[in-house]
Amino acid sequence: MDRLTRYLYTVASIIALLALWYVGGVTLPEVIPGLPETYAALVVVLTTPGPYGNMFYFHVWKTIEMLFASLFVSMIAGTVLGVALGRNETLESTLATWIYAWLAIPSLVIVFVSAIWIGFDASSGYFAIPLVITPFVGLNMWEGTRNLDTDLAEMAEFFGAGRIQTFKDVVVPQLAPFLFASFRSGLSIGWKITLLVEAFLLTRGVGFMFRRYFDQYDLPTMMSWLIIFVVFLIVVEYGVLAPLHERVMEWRPEAEGVRVTE
Amino acid sequence: MEGALMATEERSAKSDHADSSTGMLELRDIVKRFEKPGQGEILVLDEVDLDVEAGAFVSLLGPSGCGKTTLMNVISGLIEPDRGTMRRGGRDVSPDDLSLGYIFQEPRLLNWKTVRGNIEFALEARDVPEGEWDGRIDRYLDMVNLGDEHDNYPTRLSGGMKQRVSIARALAIEPEIMLMDEPFSSLDEITARDLREELLDIWKREEKTIVFVTHDINEAVFLSDYIYMMNTDGEMFARREVDIDRPRQYDDPDIAKREAELYREFHEHVVD
Ligand SMILES: Nc1ncnc2c1ncn2[C@@H]1O[C@H](COP(=O)(O)OP(=O)(O)OP(=O)(O)O)[C@@H](O)[C@H]1O
Ligand SMILES: [Mg+2]
Repeated sequence: MDRLTRYLYTVASIIALLALWYVGGVTLPEVIPGLPETYAALVVVLTTPGPYGNMFYFHVWKTIEMLFASLFVSMIAGTVLGVALGRNETLESTLATWIYAWLAIPSLVIVFVSAIWIGFDASSGYFAIPLVITPFVGLNMWEGTRNLDTDLAEMAEFFGAGRIQTFKDVVVPQLAPFLFASFRSGLSIGWKITLLVEAFLLTRGVGFMFRRYFDQYDLPTMMSWLIIFVVFLIVVEYGVLAPLHERVMEWRPEAEGVRVTE
Repeated sequence: MEGALMATEERSAKSDHADSSTGMLELRDIVKRFEKPGQGEILVLDEVDLDVEAGAFVSLLGPSGCGKTTLMNVISGLIEPDRGTMRRGGRDVSPDDLSLGYIFQEPRLLNWKTVRGNIEFALEARDVPEGEWDGRIDRYLDMVNLGDEHDNYPTRLSGGMKQRVSIARALAIEPEIMLMDEPFSSLDEITARDLREELLDIWKREEKTIVFVTHDINEAVFLSDYIYMMNTDGEMFARREVDIDRPRQYDDPDIAKREAELYREFHEHVVD
């Protein structure tokens, strides 16, 4: 598919969704917030002044801050954990069960327990969110490390490549797809947990906004906040992750994953 | 045959006084066992002796799984033998003392690096001064007829081209001895024949020593000065000369005759 056709399909799908939404809002006003009302609410949200110039800047920024700081910690901790598990059989057999147990703990439980331990403030968010995401990253990187090519490691050893060269030119490129997958799943899981934390424990951020307008039964405004953050996540994916992935995987002969740029 | 063996012994005796960076490489009593899940220990190399004369084209012939790659890994230092010695010019040497190139059974290229990048990887690993890189890359890629592929990725090359990149990579570190592990066995016969001719050219011109692993008797006879034969018990049971003038022709009846003789001998040793 060429660029124009792809673009047209995207536009068509957005128009179709908006049309459906409009019809739904008219026929089921109790359930679906109307399109015009939501638009009006969105304009209000976007133009209300507040800290950092606009009110939504402040809340969106707070959510982004918590989400990305947690992702940063989880990517490092999860990668270290996953690589350690993939390289060390003793560690693997000791810890494997516990990783799965950790994954099985519902995120809501982790959030509540953190609040009890640490308190109803941002620190429990910075504790709970990495705790939820890290095992997902770890699992991915564990798989990636198990798949490292031993033939290539032998080749590097034969030519006498040092640790740094081997890591940079042999290990990282093989882990790259797993790093991308980890980051993507971390982002989508992390964003949901961040909302939970903000809705239950905090008084700022997109999650808090949801709760506030939920308490007021204001569906169009809740919808506006959702739109703002979903747009942000789409921009991150198409504006940053996909082009970066594309560049890193340039050597692949066939298209792999999402391909937004031509 | 006897005469040839005696001549070899004489030469090795004389080289006692030679420098350890030249002269014949002698492997003695190499033993290697592997743990096999469910089978206990298996003996892969059973007191193997191997003489690699300087400048010779030596082949190692044996059926699949007999331990050829294992022996190459011992010479290259990738695995440690359980027992045995490696000597050169009468002195004990370790793989680090040898100037070796290794062409693996598979090309083992870094798919995320260009052809040039793959050769640079080896040059960097070997601490070759950066000023020499371009010259060497051009020279050795031309030698394997890949002069136009510097900036291509291995994923876009054919199997034979990848194997040639791997040969260029090994040549680029300018080793004295090239270890080649069945480099052509996964190629079609037409490509393999072309590459064999190229290899013999390079061997003569660059005065390399080559240890060539194969399970193809015809290939071994066509290429080698002498051939070592292994059986599945991990024993090196014979060394046989190939006294046929070079350049050799594939349809030379002498080659067919030598091949038949070696095949018969092989059959006796491997089957009973
Ligand atoms: N790292 C290892 N661990 C355990 N067993 C091994 C290992 N490497 C090789 N072996 C075993 O040693 C034997 C010889 O293997 P090797 O790879 O040397 O055979 P080969 O002669 O090169 O065979 P082929 O012609 O198929 O490449 C085989 O039985 C193999 O299973
Ligand atoms: Mg082999």
